[in-house]
Amino acid sequence: MGFRNFMDAVLGRSRLPKAKSDRLFAISTASITLEGSLGLKPSGSAGICFKPLGATSYESAQKEIEELLEFSSKETETEFRMEKDEFNFLWAIFKDPNFEDLVANIHLVSQTLEDRGFGEQILCAIYRFDSEPEARVAKEKARGKAAGGVAVYWIYNFKQGTYYPFIPLSGRQRDSPFEFRLRAEMEKEMPVEKNVEKWYPLWGIPF
Amino acid sequence: MNRKWERDLGLQGRMLFTMFLLAVVYLSFLAFLSYYGTSQIFMILFIGLFMAVQYFYSDKMVLWTTGAQIVSESEAPQLHGMVTRLCAIADLPKPQVAIVRTQVPNAFATGRSQNKAVVAVTTGIMDKLSPAELEAVLAHELTHVKNRDMAVLTIASFLSTVAFYIVRYSLYFGNMGGDRRREGGGIMLVWLVSIVVWIVSFLLIRALSRYREFSADRGAAIITGQPANLASALMKISGIMDRVPRDDLRKVEGMNAFFIIPALSGSSIMDIFSTHPSVEKRIAKLEKMQQEMS
Repeated sequence: MGFRNFMDAVLGRSRLPKAKSDRLFAISTASITLEGSLGLKPSGSAGICFKPLGATSYESAQKEIEELLEFSSKETETEFRMEKDEFNFLWAIFKDPNFEDLVANIHLVSQTLEDRGFGEQILCAIYRFDSEPEARVAKEKARGKAAGGVAVYWIYNFKQGTYYPFIPLSGRQRDSPFEFRLRAEMEKEMPVEKNVEKWYPLWGIPF
Repeated sequence: MNRKWERDLGLQGRMLFTMFLLAVVYLSFLAFLSYYGTSQIFMILFIGLFMAVQYFYSDKMVLWTTGAQIVSESEAPQLHGMVTRLCAIADLPKPQVAIVRTQVPNAFATGRSQNKAVVAVTTGIMDKLSPAELEAVLAHELTHVKNRDMAVLTIASFLSTVAFYIVRYSLYFGNMGGDRRREGGGIMLVWLVSIVVWIVSFLLIRALSRYREFSADRGAAIITGQPANLASALMKISGIMDRVPRDDLRKVEGMNAFFIIPALSGSSIMDIFSTHPSVEKRIAKLEKMQQEMS
């Protein structure tokens, strides 16, 4: 904790943490290990979620993003759509079998928002992986649970500059044992959030 | 076949080094005591008595203080079955099995030798864990028995206890006899040295105990062949899994302004004082073993 945080605490100033997108790219190399040794295939979809503001400058930034994405997604042949969710958060959702292109597009959105001074509005970026049914079945059997292919999400928290795993099960449950296992195996390859109390779920991810 | 996971040379090295340091501390302490000739007969009697009590009664004391009750095979057939199977794999004489009636999830092993061992589990741990996880926990306790950890730690902590008693009582005893002026300085010195011995050995014993804990985890993983089972048992017992939030990120986002000060992580100093390594570290090691095995 630095002097600035201390002064903020003393003076009661609250400051939203700035977005940290520098470690966003860690997922690119990590995805190789995820697929190779953990049997988690990139599903080809990813998204970035941010909080819309009413301000006109923000709306123009949003327009700019859309235009940029129209342009860049054509170049990388990425499908993309914008969506608003029940919490009034905006999502830019991408589909592309090429993982690098997904990362590039996500970075384009976060970079544009940051450049226009809206970095604080970015909530998170999410990459979806699918666990291979066979590997999963063996593991589930060992744990005595029902088997089935499951979506595994890696969520990038821009405020912390860290990733964390999220594996939703039915009924707003999550597969914590598997999440912890992922952390243990991936810690060395990517910045995984150490404080599990920050592993906030996002229920109903729209991809 | 790659059997790398069966040995952890680093861990064994650290353990040996800790024991070596402990021996150095104790030997210097004994040399110091004999140099000052602090009522040796009293010391020897005291030490002998203490050792005997600790050696012969520690298991009974543990059972008594925890309220563990020895159960027969007909009272807890499944538990006995598990222990029997694990002992066959680990090549151990079957210990007595005890149950503590409490909801606190816990398990322990006690007894001075492999033949006099008792393995105890609480009813809470039996409710909370799946059979595979309970088996992993029992394997952990049985490894403590196999490694003779009770005897090792009793012996290791013994002189530390002596030093503690010297710190506590030497000022009374020392001042009782004769020439106070000349003896006074000597006793102060004995007292100071004892304090140092006590503190240093205390820390070393804590370290040793943590290494034995890691070893027992390792043994459990080898006996059951499934490090992940013990890892998930540890996560369930420690409640780490309960710390993962269930509230949606978008819901809590509004409060993020209050989250600026990062939570203090409790590593560093606290690690030195604890007898058990942090659960996270133990889980991480188990996960690593799992990786090496698969």
